[in-house]
Amino acid sequence: MIVYLSTLAVLVSIAALVGLGLNFQWGVAGLVNFGVVGFVALGAYATALTVSSLGWVLAMGLAAVVSAAASTILAFLSVRLEEDYLAIVTIGFGEIINILLLNEDWLTGGALGIANIPRPLASVIPAAQYDNFLPLFAIGLVAATFLVLEMLVRSPLGRALRAVRDDPTVASALGKPVLVLRIKAFAIGGAVMGVAGSLHAFYLTYIDPSQFTSIITAYAFMAVILGGRGSNLGLLIGSCTIISLIEATRFLKDALNIVDGVQLFALRLGLVGVGIILLLLLRPQGLFPEPRKHVRDFFEDSRESN
Amino acid sequence: MNSDAPIPALSIRDLRAGYPGGGDIVRGITLDQAPESILAVIGPNGSGKSSFVKTLAGLLRTREGSIDVTGKRVSDLSPARRVMSGLAYVPQEANVFRSLTIKENLKLATEFLRGRTGVGSTQEAQVMALFPELGQRHKALAGNLSGGQRQMLAFACALLANPEVLLLDEPTAGLSPKFVGETMEAVVRVRESGVTVLLVEQNVAAAMRIADEVMVLVAGAKRLLTRPSDISNFDLADLFFGKVQ
Amino acid sequence: MLGQVIVNGLVTGLLLALPSLALTIVFGILKFPNFAVGSTLTFGAYGTWVANHLMGMPLIAAAVVGSLVTAGMAILSDKLIFERLRDSGSITLLVASLGLSLVLENICRFSFGNATRDFDIDIARPLRWHGLRINHEQMTTAITVIICVVVVQILLHASPLGRAMRATADNPALAAVRGIERNTISHITWALAAVLLTISGVLAGMDRAIDPLLGWSYQIPVFAAAILGGLGSPIGAVVGALVIGVAEELSTLVLPTNDRQIVSFAVILVLLLVRTQGLFGARAVRK
Repeated sequence: MIVYLSTLAVLVSIAALVGLGLNFQWGVAGLVNFGVVGFVALGAYATALTVSSLGWVLAMGLAAVVSAAASTILAFLSVRLEEDYLAIVTIGFGEIINILLLNEDWLTGGALGIANIPRPLASVIPAAQYDNFLPLFAIGLVAATFLVLEMLVRSPLGRALRAVRDDPTVASALGKPVLVLRIKAFAIGGAVMGVAGSLHAFYLTYIDPSQFTSIITAYAFMAVILGGRGSNLGLLIGSCTIISLIEATRFLKDALNIVDGVQLFALRLGLVGVGIILLLLLRPQGLFPEPRKHVRDFFEDSRESN
Repeated sequence: MNSDAPIPALSIRDLRAGYPGGGDIVRGITLDQAPESILAVIGPNGSGKSSFVKTLAGLLRTREGSIDVTGKRVSDLSPARRVMSGLAYVPQEANVFRSLTIKENLKLATEFLRGRTGVGSTQEAQVMALFPELGQRHKALAGNLSGGQRQMLAFACALLANPEVLLLDEPTAGLSPKFVGETMEAVVRVRESGVTVLLVEQNVAAAMRIADEVMVLVAGAKRLLTRPSDISNFDLADLFFGKVQ
Repeated sequence: MLGQVIVNGLVTGLLLALPSLALTIVFGILKFPNFAVGSTLTFGAYGTWVANHLMGMPLIAAAVVGSLVTAGMAILSDKLIFERLRDSGSITLLVASLGLSLVLENICRFSFGNATRDFDIDIARPLRWHGLRINHEQMTTAITVIICVVVVQILLHASPLGRAMRATADNPALAAVRGIERNTISHITWALAAVLLTISGVLAGMDRAIDPLLGWSYQIPVFAAAILGGLGSPIGAVVGALVIGVAEELSTLVLPTNDRQIVSFAVILVLLLVRTQGLFGARAVRK
């Protein structure tokens, strides 16, 4: 049971990190990203390929950097576009990453993936204790990321992003360079997703392309919608809820032996779809909706009377 | 009001409306408009005149209150059903289908109004007689017409529905003075053909010249409803620019 | 041989034309990109397969049944989901269509598993023409798609319903005040898209086998084709599809076949940088 709970803690942490990244991009900055899984995969592979030579700290840092770089390029190309088009471009990106991971086997090992990924501090902590260490490591990572993101949200950058999200025309009239802000936001979110990918790689010690499907994007969106766009705390609660629900279906298989593996898989994915739809219909503002603010509130220096 | 008075063409009680997620923009308006009259709705920028007319047309949901057209309750009907009940609306901008031809715009004005009394070839002939220019350039895309021509087309399309009440949102916006005059004359001719007209106007002088009654709207509420001859410029200035009451 | 590649490209393009047409019509009239096109295609293919293989109907009759079932599903999802979210912005609608996509795909997976299925049809010998090989399925695809495109064009431009649909696409509020019920047009649009996607599903199922991911593999090229042609323009969707089809086939001369989707994606990126309105559509740059 303890082992199961610690596994759950790691899974929740990975999901929370992905969600925090998306929350920053979509919840705070208003940029929709349907290619979430691509950035997570980039982080995982960047870590897996370099951890032996660079050590885990640098490998994680590299994951963040690679994902941030990819985010920056993608954002630079498409952040001027209407939301619909940004969504289309990002979903395409997710798919392309998947294809590249499968095909460029000289680098990625193709469908076989990369195995035997060393874990952080594995040489220092004895194997027996490691299973207790990893969840703490994961939770620590989430806590650190949460704090950093909360600081960013409250910083001038965060205020500017939220102003731009709520009313881009007014915000740009007030003089903030909108495009640069958006690219920064996308990159920060992407970096967090990359870190999630590293954690995933460390946890499983073996990665292959089949682990990175668009269902991860769907889970992330559910968590963000459930938690209330923009609220980091809500996001954490949303992620916990989602993962717990998904894991609960695991017991379904043991309890009701009537469905086979494929059907169970289909049932889970189908329920995620139903969940997304129900959330949108019943509680689109999530559990912790952000109170409506006016652009004025973000810029104390602009005393426009209205 | 004596008991022989005809049913008002438009009867509004305590109307409240606003955009989803926001507060009330239309704040409790009550009015009766006599049949075959012209009512001009004027007020400062942001007073909710456009939103008021959109609520009458059904594009903004009625939150409280009621709207009756010649005695028929329309406030819970969709915009399409309100047209069937005798209400027609000409929006301020985007009032024609730009990617469709003139002919198609005109066809659409009546195609989905089967069962509306008076819609038919006689009505069409009468309306087209008011706008002879439109009969000539059938295949032109409505988007390629000038502002004034689009206005005419929008007008014609609304009239083809044989409305009892015609709602006009700033019909002279962006038109040259000559066209302003022609448009107002067209409004009078429409009234003379038996239609009740409610028009929202920024051009106060032009509106007051043809209106039977004027309603001043400030911050979503009715501040004055009277005949044009009973208002002075000073009253208007006070109302528009905020003598707090 | 170049000629053969172009023929294959045109046929691939024709296979993309109907789903692109469906996507562009939904975008034009309902104002959001429908991410459930791929899974609706899959759903339609399976529906037809059930009628064909399990109930023994000839393929055309089965396709009719499949279309009716899929259209019914589409109207139901409009009534239950999209109608209620109409005023919530296109991203909400988009995410909802993502949810629907998961549901549809997994209904198919749950019911029929991951194993591939085939239609019960007779195999005919390919035609040979000036050294080019055109097989029976390719001919059927070409003829079916051309007929569908012509029918849709006639519907849109020569019928009152088509006028109403184009009017709703042009200006939904104005259409409402001209007597056109928005919900009715919405249902009809979804039904039309469903029929087009079912037919595509049948053609795709003839081209390769049917499995739960059938439609998903078309998703990116279909979006590329619709954007290339200009989202909202039916002619554009067809032209875009042909171009993407030929481009993908041509790319197999230089790239490994698995990278075909990258071609489509590259097209999307380049277009959105350079000419967001595609060939026939409206601009897409955010303010």
